Amino acid sequence: MALQKIKNRFLALTRCKFAVMIALAIIVSIILVIISLTIYRNSGAVQLDLSRPGYIDVRDKATVSDADFHNFSSTGEVNQKVIDEFRALFVKQVKKVESADAFGGDPLNPKSLGIDADEANPSQ
Amino acid sequence: MIIFGLVVAAGLSCLSLLYVSAQDNALSDTQVSKIKSNCISTKNTLNQLHTSDALLRVNRGQIYELIQTKLMDKFNERLASNKLGGENFKTITTNYGTALDGFRQDYKLYEEQLSSAIAIDCDVHPIAFYDAIKSARTQREAVYADIKYLNQFIDQYQSVLSQFDKDYKAASKGVSR
Repeated sequence: MALQKIKNRFLALTRCKFAVMIALAIIVSIILVIISLTIYRNSGAVQLDLSRPGYIDVRDKATVSDADFHNFSSTGEVNQKVIDEFRALFVKQVKKVESADAFGGDPLNPKSLGIDADEANPSQ
Repeated sequence: MIIFGLVVAAGLSCLSLLYVSAQDNALSDTQVSKIKSNCISTKNTLNQLHTSDALLRVNRGQIYELIQTKLMDKFNERLASNKLGGENFKTITTNYGTALDGFRQDYKLYEEQLSSAIAIDCDVHPIAFYDAIKSARTQREAVYADIKYLNQFIDQYQSVLSQFDKDYKAASKGVSR
């Protein structure tokens, strides 16, 4: 009896194949969007995405090309010339890193934000 | 008896920690009103910092990553293929890679914390806002420590490279004689 019911329902469903196909396609796409957004958030890619609203001012300041990085070959012999060449490339990039004190300073200090304890309340 | 003593000690330390954190959370009325009155300007500052740090993360992260993939790894491979050892270089590169992962992870935590601080309505929840900024500040310090750590490994790599250069020059002179 139950088997017959299932069979009847299945037959009814096959009669509106197109609607079922659309519904299934929507469900699958929703699932895929949820998965991809979860990966996007959890992988940290969201933090690197300057195309988000709010980053318009800095978007064009982002380094988009690595052409400045000469690709050092991993094959070939090692001689004085190669060592000197590598050293020059390495020093050039290191200078970039050392040029600014990234994430230094203390911009989140309550004092610099103007939300520190009052002079009148030294206990804070 | 020893177990009882340990349990009592753990309980006391938990109580003292709770007391300290309760004291930390206690903001004076003046400070709360200060947070409320400076709410908009503080949020603006946080938003600017959020944006500038995102740019810094992208550009800095790219340089650090390329130093590893395009320079360190390639040079190590070249030394290995020429059977010139380079174990020191490999160790430093591995440690550098671990530090770079730490930087990525810590930045992610910092960004999430700063975003949640920005999302708090400081007019309605000034204490929660203050605490969120405090946590974000700690996370930012961790990111800064990672940067220092990465720079340390770069310096180490450079000094090992200088030593390798010296040794190579000395060996070349020995062969030519």
